[in-house]
Amino acid sequence: MQARNTAATQNRNRATAGYLRMAVVQSFAFALISLGFVQASHAGFVGTQQVVDAEARQEKLLELSGFLARADVAAELEALGVAPEFVTARLANLTDQEVADLHDRVSDQVAGGDALALVGAVFLVLMILELVGVTDIFKSF
Amino acid sequence: MTAAAVAFWPRLLALVAASTVTACAVSPQHGVGDLASAVQVPATPFYPQERFQCGPAALMTVLDYSGVDTSLDELVERVYLPARQGSLQAELIAATRAYERVPYVLDASLAAIVAELQQQRPVLVLQNLGTSWFPRWHYAVVYAVDPVEKVVRLRSGLDKERETPIPVFLKTWQRAGFWSMTALAPDQLPANPDRERYFSAIAALEETGHLQAAQLGWQAAAQHWPDTTTPLFGLANTAFSLGDPGAAELSYRAVLRLDSSHWGARNNLAYVLAASGHVSEALGELDAALAEPDLSPTWRDELQDTRLEILSMQAGSD
Repeated sequence: MQARNTAATQNRNRATAGYLRMAVVQSFAFALISLGFVQASHAGFVGTQQVVDAEARQEKLLELSGFLARADVAAELEALGVAPEFVTARLANLTDQEVADLHDRVSDQVAGGDALALVGAVFLVLMILELVGVTDIFKSF
Repeated sequence: MTAAAVAFWPRLLALVAASTVTACAVSPQHGVGDLASAVQVPATPFYPQERFQCGPAALMTVLDYSGVDTSLDELVERVYLPARQGSLQAELIAATRAYERVPYVLDASLAAIVAELQQQRPVLVLQNLGTSWFPRWHYAVVYAVDPVEKVVRLRSGLDKERETPIPVFLKTWQRAGFWSMTALAPDQLPANPDRERYFSAIAALEETGHLQAAQLGWQAAAQHWPDTTTPLFGLANTAFSLGDPGAAELSYRAVLRLDSSHWGARNNLAYVLAASGHVSEALGELDAALAEPDLSPTWRDELQDTRLEILSMQAGSD
């Protein structure tokens, strides 16, 4: 009886140690292979981000589940020319809130890169042409 | 020359003048403050940018300066968006985390940039070098501000030492929402930290799995704000995630000494105690909390869930 109890305790301790190891291993594995669910979140465990959000009153409703939002943003990045093998690593370092902020809006975000919008250049040329009297495009009909 | 052609040039000049004047002076609250002499970070490295790749180049500058071992090619893979011919602010922030640095967005004033330079940290800025209707978004790194010469000095594009008059810099920066960030080593605090913004920056490192870096950040925060619970709570959570329940327990208890109704800490303390085999002690913590009359329904549910989970853990192991 005594031996069984000890064995049970040992099993429990092993299970606990294994569980903790697993949580850590999982978080690194996820960082590498998943769409970025890296927080070692256990049911019943309160994350730091939750408390920080509540204190800063920044908690916003996420429009979609985090998983779907990540998949969508991943697709957007790929569509904008990011090689598939880099998309996962890029997303892994964005928080759920940042992903939600980017969701559906990657194309509207400022992309710093010195590019000049063709539309803008055309507009400038058109305006000069308009002033010189070559075009009449801005007059209403 | 026709009369129309003669009239054209004054009109064009007037238009150009109007477009520069309409972007009127930037409010002094965003200015340099009462800086008396020049401040600079001479050791700021220089990475001339490839076409459209000012984002990776500017990021490389601040990361390299803070001791990160990476390359421009690697950063291009992390932050460049080919179809947009540029880089997003959110991705510069994310990439900074990837190298275990704390991306901290500064206050919207040149004085805030100066304060970082005084700590010998160069500052990454977003500028709109064009106008609001004809934007040219550009990342650069401020490495000096000189109130005597009235210039900002930047590593910018292909220029190792770009000098921009302060009023012009402020306008280009204003058009980009006064956005700037610094890459902190995880044990460094910003020069003038905004508490909530700094906590969010560290919590984001934690959320994205950079637990050791987050732990250093919480340690720095706990020293700077010793009477605040969040850094200690963060220390406890990172310790637990890193497999040190003993350290986690001590930090949860430190949180509860500061604020006995920090239900998150109470909940997690019970969880850690149970995970270390102290089930009855864990249940005792939860039952004491559940007996509190001022417990919110949300926390009541959370604590009840944890209680059930601990009971099922116990049942499973017997």
